[in-house]
Amino acid sequence: MTMEKRTYKRHFVAWAMVALTALGCDDYLDINTDPNNPSVAPLSGLLARTSFETGDNIQNAGLITSYYVQYLASPNAASATDTQEPVAFDQTWFELYDVMTDLSDLELQAEELEAFNYAGIAKILKAVNLGITVDLWGDIPYTEAFFAQTLTPAYDTDHGLYNVIQQLLDDGIQDLESGNFSYEVENDDFIYEGDIDLWIKTAHALKARYLLHLSETGDYDPTAILNQVEGSYTGNADDATVSYFAEQVNPWASVAISNASLILGGWISEQLIEAMDGTTYGVVDPRMSFMFGTTNGGEFIGTENGAGRGDAPEQGARSTLVEGTYYSSRTSPIEVITYAELKFIEAEAALSSDPARAYQSYLDGIEAHMEKLGVDNADIQVYLTDPQVAVGAGSLTRALILKEKYIAMFLHPETWVDARRFDYQYADMTVPANLNPELGGEFIRRLIYPDSETQRNRQNVPDVTLLDRLWWDQ
Amino acid sequence: MSRSTNQYYMKKIFTLLSFVIVCIACHVTYGQGQTVTGKITAEDGNPLPGASVVVKGTTVGTVTDVDGNYTIEMSSGATTLMISFIGYETVEVPVQGRSVIDYQLQPDITQLNEVVVTAFGIEQEKRGLGYAVEEVSSDDITKTKQANLVNALQGQVAGVQITNSGGAPGMSSRIIIRGLTSLDPGADNQPLFVVDGVPIDNSTVESNGTPRGLSNRAADINPNDVESVSILKGAAATALYGVRAANGAVIITTKKGKAGKMVVNIKSSIGFEEVNKYPQFQEGFGQGFSGDYSNDSFWPSWGAPIAAGRIIDPEYVYYDNTKSVMQTGKQYDNYVSISGGSENATFFTSVSNFQQEGVIPFSTWDRTAVKLSGTVNLNEKLDITGSVNYAKSGGDRVPHDRIMETLMYWAFTQDATDYLNPDGTQKTYGNSNPLYTARYWTYEDDVNRIIGNVNVNYKPLEWLNIMYRLGSDYYSDQRTEILPGPLGVENEFPLSSTGFIEQTRINSRDINSTLNLTVSRDITERFSASLRLGHDVFDRDRNTIVARGNEFVIPRFYHLSNVTEQLTSEIIRKQRLVGVYGDLTLNYDDFLYLNITGRNDWSSTLPKENRSFFYPSVSLGFVFDELLNLPDFVSYSKLRASYAEVGKDAQPYSTAITYTSADGFPLNGELGYTRSNTLGSADLKPERTTSIEFGLEANFLQNRLGIDLTWYKSNSKDQIIPVPVSNGTGFTRLITNAGELENKGVELVLSGTPIRNDAFTWNVRLNFTKNKNTVVDIREGIESIVVGSQFGYVGSSVTMTLIEGDPYGNLYGTSYERYYANGKPEDLTILDRDLPLLIGSDGFPVANGDQLILGNAMPDWTAGMTNTFTYKGLSLSLLIDARYGVDQFSQYDNFYSAFGMLDYSTNRNQMVIFDGRLADGSANTQQVWLGQGLGPDYVDYGAGFYRNAYRGISENFVQDASYIKLRNVTLGYDLPASIISSTPFQRVNVSASANNIILSTPWNGYDPESFSAGAGGNATAFTGLGYPGVRSYFFTLNLTL
Repeated sequence: MTMEKRTYKRHFVAWAMVALTALGCDDYLDINTDPNNPSVAPLSGLLARTSFETGDNIQNAGLITSYYVQYLASPNAASATDTQEPVAFDQTWFELYDVMTDLSDLELQAEELEAFNYAGIAKILKAVNLGITVDLWGDIPYTEAFFAQTLTPAYDTDHGLYNVIQQLLDDGIQDLESGNFSYEVENDDFIYEGDIDLWIKTAHALKARYLLHLSETGDYDPTAILNQVEGSYTGNADDATVSYFAEQVNPWASVAISNASLILGGWISEQLIEAMDGTTYGVVDPRMSFMFGTTNGGEFIGTENGAGRGDAPEQGARSTLVEGTYYSSRTSPIEVITYAELKFIEAEAALSSDPARAYQSYLDGIEAHMEKLGVDNADIQVYLTDPQVAVGAGSLTRALILKEKYIAMFLHPETWVDARRFDYQYADMTVPANLNPELGGEFIRRLIYPDSETQRNRQNVPDVTLLDRLWWDQ
Repeated sequence: MSRSTNQYYMKKIFTLLSFVIVCIACHVTYGQGQTVTGKITAEDGNPLPGASVVVKGTTVGTVTDVDGNYTIEMSSGATTLMISFIGYETVEVPVQGRSVIDYQLQPDITQLNEVVVTAFGIEQEKRGLGYAVEEVSSDDITKTKQANLVNALQGQVAGVQITNSGGAPGMSSRIIIRGLTSLDPGADNQPLFVVDGVPIDNSTVESNGTPRGLSNRAADINPNDVESVSILKGAAATALYGVRAANGAVIITTKKGKAGKMVVNIKSSIGFEEVNKYPQFQEGFGQGFSGDYSNDSFWPSWGAPIAAGRIIDPEYVYYDNTKSVMQTGKQYDNYVSISGGSENATFFTSVSNFQQEGVIPFSTWDRTAVKLSGTVNLNEKLDITGSVNYAKSGGDRVPHDRIMETLMYWAFTQDATDYLNPDGTQKTYGNSNPLYTARYWTYEDDVNRIIGNVNVNYKPLEWLNIMYRLGSDYYSDQRTEILPGPLGVENEFPLSSTGFIEQTRINSRDINSTLNLTVSRDITERFSASLRLGHDVFDRDRNTIVARGNEFVIPRFYHLSNVTEQLTSEIIRKQRLVGVYGDLTLNYDDFLYLNITGRNDWSSTLPKENRSFFYPSVSLGFVFDELLNLPDFVSYSKLRASYAEVGKDAQPYSTAITYTSADGFPLNGELGYTRSNTLGSADLKPERTTSIEFGLEANFLQNRLGIDLTWYKSNSKDQIIPVPVSNGTGFTRLITNAGELENKGVELVLSGTPIRNDAFTWNVRLNFTKNKNTVVDIREGIESIVVGSQFGYVGSSVTMTLIEGDPYGNLYGTSYERYYANGKPEDLTILDRDLPLLIGSDGFPVANGDQLILGNAMPDWTAGMTNTFTYKGLSLSLLIDARYGVDQFSQYDNFYSAFGMLDYSTNRNQMVIFDGRLADGSANTQQVWLGQGLGPDYVDYGAGFYRNAYRGISENFVQDASYIKLRNVTLGYDLPASIISSTPFQRVNVSASANNIILSTPWNGYDPESFSAGAGGNATAFTGLGYPGVRSYFFTLNLTL
């Protein structure tokens, strides 16, 4: 090889290396910022999603608890939820955490931006979702949750989380009362469209609800409950409900629509029908047709929990959720907390100290619920004066309050809390047929943890059975 | 240098060599006896210059001239000519007194100096390679008559598993080389596709909503244009391609023009297809439930015995709806190519049109392709090659899943083919009609694609070559789905109460730039070296926009403007990769070859600090027969060994935390945002696959028998996978480096020529593959990854889950409880189907709701065999392929059992005793009724055994999906020269063939080769309600001018 050629070769290699390095330069490769998804979200976007999805979370929980409290019964014999088998409700858990995660982001961002209306609403909604989660599972991750501080977040105790719920609501009220709102909440709030006063009332109503949960514990303080009731709702118009739309229909309506097309679900329990048709209490409740459908023959016939439909056909022979009723029409609201519930809370809290107040609240609760369903005024009066209902202040019992609350809270997961506080002592309520044998004839007291936790967070998941009670369930 | 030009040079060199040798040999014995003349041609009919013709038993010989002609003097007593040419089989032809002997040589499939295409289109002698490469020829591809190039490779290559996703026109086909390499359920485990040196997109973008069976994009390539396909299997073979070929590479070389006379090739074929296998339907029971007659029930076949029902209603007769709804599919394939050129410039151009109608009416797929390529030699040192391929493809992708489902609900005693009212509305007794669904719920795709490349080759010095190649792959894929709403006719049964239109627009653009510098030198007489340095850039930009309109306002007017709700979405994906590489090959005396490579990549998808990564490979080829003085019957033997590493980058946008617009929004004028469930990692590093491979090649008996054995093991570590995490973290998945997957296997290729004489030849080639895919490790604290699952009635859904230490592809589901003589084991994970059933106190088998392993979806082994027989102008070839030990979930059978449709359910009105044990271990003796309602024993059996129990047990539907298929049989005939010599044609070939005939399978349903995930998906165990598989028959005419 001649000298000249060598130089040429060296020259070429050097030139090539320069070209290659230039092409390898970093700017060319700096294109990995996600163009599809932003790295920050607006307050309104987070509130829109969380306020709307809170409705779905309540319904998801109701879809489980409605079998335990026997609002609903499975059309199939020995269906796992119906017979209180250990079912891992991963999706329900996921959606609750998903919404609480977004609420945590919303809370942080709103505080940073001094939008304390958003911050306050975020805290109240977080209390709602946290309350549902704790009441289903007991101990759950919270302190180490939502920000990936660790991949295996530790579990907070249910007792401790009840303090967190009250604190969130107090902080929420404080934020909302501060008036320091750098941005305005409008239609992005699918519950109140930004009405701050109603949110403050809701926080008080929720404080009353979670204080009432302590009825079986030494922490029970009826006076504190009645104080919260004072600052809360004054009529059905104040109810906290999530709105649904033609494009996004109420999830109970979806159950009804599916059932109509033979994807069976939403069948009414015999327990509820008999509580309303006079069988159990000797009074016919005019609300039945506002709540669910009839058979082809126009009758209200329930399905026995755990037993399935037997030889009944798949349509037309049993009462089910149907479109066109208050709870399962396409644009029906999902109730977060209502004036009627507040009245029953008040009745229960006042029962021992002020029976007259308790009795009036009890009647107001029934009336409020009936009016909301659209029951004819004359029918309301007939019911309210029926001797089985109008027992008088002296004869009012907790059982009667909880019986009426049971009807008024149809499909709401809060009823499972009542049922456990009340040890399932509703008249004629028995365990379902084909009950999970591990329960030894007892009613279920909690859910088992989802598979996602037992598989991904094993070291922290408490070892529980379905009979282990939450701390307030004593 | 293209393959064909290379061959041209080889021919030239060997002409010269042979001429010299033969001249030296023949001067001694020149000039005795009879003279024989003739012409030697190649397999394509072209003359073969330089072929050697020798009189057997003598040193008399000659070589053919430029037109393939020869003249030779036979010595007295000599009876046989030996004709040979490098790369072709050597034949002995008895003279039998003839003075003219023409002969067509066949390529030698076990030739020594076979040249194969390796990474970057580099042609190398197979002899020198330290890793396995297999090549499939043009002829073997076109013979299969497959419109999809991937299907054309089925059964032909060891180590390669190809699975058709179903029988729809244009439906995707999946190719996996040496097992899956990623634990990520969403990862594409398929190899890189490269056409003429330029990587192309072979992704499969499935439809939203109901499965439609879309195409893998390699289907846009016209198989008729393909000269050869080379499969690079291991990491050593693909080391130069780096990241993008981490799953292997399919190197496609297209046809080029050759200098000389212009050649025109015309090919026309017509094909017919039909469903190749149906389930066994029962024909005894009609519409209704509980054995009762009905003519309007939802239930298709739980009704009265048809014979009994006919007494009530003479129209209660059996309709074989599934078969009568299907039609004979048709295919038309027309192709013209023109090629030719001079010493300085060559060209190749082709036009083709393919049209197909599937067995489900209204399903179609067409492809029109145009190709133009040319090479110009500007001077001795510089040549430029360019090519452009344009393809337009698409069709109506009927909603087969919904059609097959409605077909399932359609009553056995109602005619499904009578589906249309004169006003255009659906004619039905109440359920949706399959044909009406097929016809009106349309999904049309229209792909326009251009693949082009320019290649500049500059050879300034004898030992230096510089090559630059720029390629682009651009396509637009426009899709329109229309589900009509009500047509505005009173009392109609609309397909949907609202209807919708969805417009999808995908624009994809890939650019590849490659610069290669090659230095080759003979260092000593025996020792040579070549060094290659290269630079490589890949740039992808893809944009997908979906616009959907719900609820039509004006009936029968399907437009995005005519709806009450409009939704749009957009997805952008950009990805860039820059690599530099070096490749040093050392050759010692043509028997010892060492190859060392290294590549460094910079990827846009990794965090800045980790985006640069390097990986090496080394391979060794050792030809030892000459060295060891092996016996004569060993004609060639070689050992191969290699070690390679390859890095792999992440999916775009895997390194950050983002927010996404929430599902269901905008709603009420508001946009919802939610934090993304996937937690990206800012510290991702590249994945690494390490593989080792050993191989042995040997040929015996003058290369009439060949064996190629390979053992390999590859471990993919630090995988970039989305691991599931506690939802408490605020996320569901964390993208991180975790886990290890191992593939270990053997590949065996046997080839031979059992019979060969001047009239008759029999070639046989067999390949066998066994691969073991094991999940070595996932991540601490993470026990499993779900790859996918599919719905089954009442809890019988089946899930494909990866668990540490287990093989990839285990299927989990419910089963019948078994009787365990020594008590049920505590930690039971696998179902032992051989154990006796546990029978409950009601006389029925007890269900076990625990998720047990019921089977595995990965084959134990696969094999393929090709037999080719030629007798004069006639040729017959048979391609058989098999897979063994594959389990799949038959959603079909799950549904059929729920509706009492298959023949096994005709025992519905029988009293039976289930074979099994009671809890106390005694044999079951209790009689039970399988029917619905009140049994003859006055017990109420409710919905009956099949609905109460059978359909809810996954075990019943996880079935053996092994098969042996006659993939292709082709009988071809070349018209003899005596006939065509009076025509303008050089060659006329007619052929008939049949495809995809199932010889044997235990599978109870349609063709088991079907899955609903599409080629890009990894959950291959789930058939869904797939498009039934088909067998086809073809008639082809091939003319060469």
